[in-house]
Amino acid sequence: MAGAAPGWRASMDRALPVWAAVVLALVFLMALPLGWLVWMSVGGAAGATLAHYARVAQDPALLKALWNTVVLSFWVGLASIAVGAPLAWLTARTDLPAKGLIRSLVLASFVTPPFLGAFAWVMLAGPNAGLLNVLWRDVTGAADPLVNVFTMPGLVFVVTMYTFPYVYIMIANTLALIGSDLEEAAAILGAGRLAVARTVTLPMVAPALVSGFILAVLQALALFGSPAILALPAGFHTITTQIWALFQYPPKVELAAAVSMPLLLATALLLLVQKRLLGRRGYAAVGGKGGQRGAVPLGRWRWPALLGCLAVMAAAIFLPYGVLAKAALSRAWAQPLTWSNLTLANFSFTFFEYGATQAAIVNTLELGVMTATIGAVGVALLSYVANRRLVPGHQLVAFLALAPIVIPGVVLAVALFIAYTRPPFVLYGTLAILFVAYLTKEMPVGYAQSDATFRAIPPELEDAGRILGAGRLRILRDVTAPLARSGIIAAWCFIFIGVIRELSASIILFTPATKVMSVVIFDLKEEGQFGAIAVLGIVMLLLTFATVALVQRALGRDVLGARE
Amino acid sequence: MPGVSLRALTRRYGDVAAVDDLSLDVKPGELVALLGPSGCGKTTTLRLVAGFLAPESGEIWVGERCLSAPGRVVPPEQRRMAMIFQSYALWPHLTVAQNVGYGLRFKPELNRAARDLRVAEMLRVVQLDGFAARYPGELSGGQQQRVAVARALVVEPEILLLDEPLSNLDANLREEMRFEIRRLHEKFAITTLYVTHDQAEAMVISDRIAVLEGGRVAQVGSADEVFLQPRTRFVAEFIGRTNLIEGVAMEPDRVAFGGLRLRVGAGGMTPGARVAVSIRPHDIAVGVPDDTRAPGANTLPGVIQRASFLGDSMDYQVRVADTDVVLRVATAATRRLRAGEPVTLSIDPAACIALAASKERG
Repeated sequence: MAGAAPGWRASMDRALPVWAAVVLALVFLMALPLGWLVWMSVGGAAGATLAHYARVAQDPALLKALWNTVVLSFWVGLASIAVGAPLAWLTARTDLPAKGLIRSLVLASFVTPPFLGAFAWVMLAGPNAGLLNVLWRDVTGAADPLVNVFTMPGLVFVVTMYTFPYVYIMIANTLALIGSDLEEAAAILGAGRLAVARTVTLPMVAPALVSGFILAVLQALALFGSPAILALPAGFHTITTQIWALFQYPPKVELAAAVSMPLLLATALLLLVQKRLLGRRGYAAVGGKGGQRGAVPLGRWRWPALLGCLAVMAAAIFLPYGVLAKAALSRAWAQPLTWSNLTLANFSFTFFEYGATQAAIVNTLELGVMTATIGAVGVALLSYVANRRLVPGHQLVAFLALAPIVIPGVVLAVALFIAYTRPPFVLYGTLAILFVAYLTKEMPVGYAQSDATFRAIPPELEDAGRILGAGRLRILRDVTAPLARSGIIAAWCFIFIGVIRELSASIILFTPATKVMSVVIFDLKEEGQFGAIAVLGIVMLLLTFATVALVQRALGRDVLGARE
Repeated sequence: MPGVSLRALTRRYGDVAAVDDLSLDVKPGELVALLGPSGCGKTTTLRLVAGFLAPESGEIWVGERCLSAPGRVVPPEQRRMAMIFQSYALWPHLTVAQNVGYGLRFKPELNRAARDLRVAEMLRVVQLDGFAARYPGELSGGQQQRVAVARALVVEPEILLLDEPLSNLDANLREEMRFEIRRLHEKFAITTLYVTHDQAEAMVISDRIAVLEGGRVAQVGSADEVFLQPRTRFVAEFIGRTNLIEGVAMEPDRVAFGGLRLRVGAGGMTPGARVAVSIRPHDIAVGVPDDTRAPGANTLPGVIQRASFLGDSMDYQVRVADTDVVLRVATAATRRLRAGEPVTLSIDPAACIALAASKERG
């Protein structure tokens, strides 16, 4: 038996270089662009300077854009709570009819690209030709429009319609985890229904409420499409459209970098607050089982409540989708849908006549598949490394993989533009720079999904194979991969959905040869081609919904959260 | 068939030494239980032996092979061991036969047919023939447990490691499986380390018990030895119920407490030293004051504070006269005394075990 101790050194895992490479790539993807961004914002001819920041602080237009962003985000946050929280409570806790339908519609709103919603609302509530205003004038004979979407309130409204699902998810998942036994415990001690809601339910939901508010604010902060479509015609900028404008000829990159910093810092700060909130007191962990839960009877409010839900969904889904379908099928979208107005010309125009479309669809799909595939494999490796503590500093891996979440798309684009328009890595003008942008931007979502997957696979399942004679890589193939498969497919789908709708980074990084669908839609807006926008939008929605269906199949549940 | 030798193992988590200078020898073919409360380092010890963890100091030898030393750890897959996990760790995506046969894939000398044959045989041994094509999710807890046992035994490991394998079973099944595991051990005689926090389980299953406290071995011995001759207070309290009387040694075999004297079996105490004396509840006889008593026994006057009828036995709490000491006494239920009755306790000096205080940690 002596000397039969094979591989002291083989015990240094052969897999180690793989892990090391993945971690290095991560540092590289994140550190290089952000490093350049910071450097550019303080870079001057004679070394570091605060001149760019000073210019931002002295430029009333830039300050106004910053202020507009604050106003927009704050109101979107509040409005999202006002819409999302009641909806969540109604579907999670009451005997509301058609709860499943409402939940599906919230999901639809969640995955609808916000800029498509904004386009639809231009057609619905534009002051002159907007269908709702036309209807209003026809019915009342008034000369003035009923609503004008090209205003700050209009912008807040449209953005909220696609942002409230973030609040909904936070609240609904929290409510689902709070067993009604906790509320019953208070009730049996003599608290009335209102008292229970005030003293037990509300305090327990409060962190989720605030955290949903923060998520909604973050969405609004980072959004480019909706403000570009609704605020620019109205004559005002938000910070994202302002950064984009700074990139128009002649580009003022240093200034863009300096304006990006407050956006980056605000995002990081808000996320920090959110993490603190959720981390404290262990609310999220509330009761493993969730307990039995009796639905609150709504009584005679049952149907009015449903009507209210459907009204929200009309604004978020029915009307916008309807007007998109109408625009896609009609010669003139503002005219009634009669036989003579009906046409398929928009489809042939979009796919065969308009020069950029075909290439853009190919580019989008290529980037989507590539990013999703490389991303899903990457986040799987990363979350595996972090979960199994395979390298020293594995906590850092998780941190870095989730870090891009603090980088708004526009800021990321600025950073990548700066980093990759100069040696040693000249990627600008290629699909590669979009790939890097998408990969970085979608990494947190993919990582979170993948992390949850590996958390659910107990390490003993791997240990059991190791001790029976299988090496780590063999176990990865025989045990881990088959068990993680559906989770990894889900991560793939999340990344894919994120990529095909991406606009805010693409709009800065594209070149005529590397347009993607969202950019083409944006171009078509400049040309007033609403029919073609609608067609491309519908294609994008179909792709999205097909992918969502795939996720639901893989996970065996809907993508909104831990329920069912 | 090699034995296992753990030599001065230490493993820390942060500042806490989970395993602290632990040494233990398991003879070839022997089954040793690592017994202790949670946090005593028993599972860490097992994972060190399995090679999932590297020791900070100390070595692990199996026969003539040094498998673990600081910085040099043979990976688990090359240790020729098998392990049964608390959660069973069955692979949910593989059938029972595939689970059991997995380890055989790494034995190049076996072809497919030979492997299938071995799997079928092993399933018969654990009485699961007919379940080969099922998935683990379709089995009961007890059946899953048998699959885990089969998967570990089929590879004919040199060393078998079990980590609380019965703790997920309900009480009846657990008792049954104790005997089953003992039966399999007698059949295959594999050198085995068995981690448990259940003293009855350890006593039924093992050849020897290593009682762990604070990452060290407090005592190793047969079930008899650790029960009847506990060496530390911790061991006495952890294995079975006991009464502890604190006192001062007057003579090598005599302890004084509260004005009373107690003769202690083994003797050898240093006069003047503080000692604790352990007396098992069933080693104390209760009598009314004028009963005749065994010659040479310690006798203590007392009053029954509480008497509980437990069906097949009586459980008394007796306060020893002129002291604060309350002793638990277990007797047959044939004679039933009531609370408030004055009694005389008589205790054989051999049943009075003088204990060293547990070693200070760190």
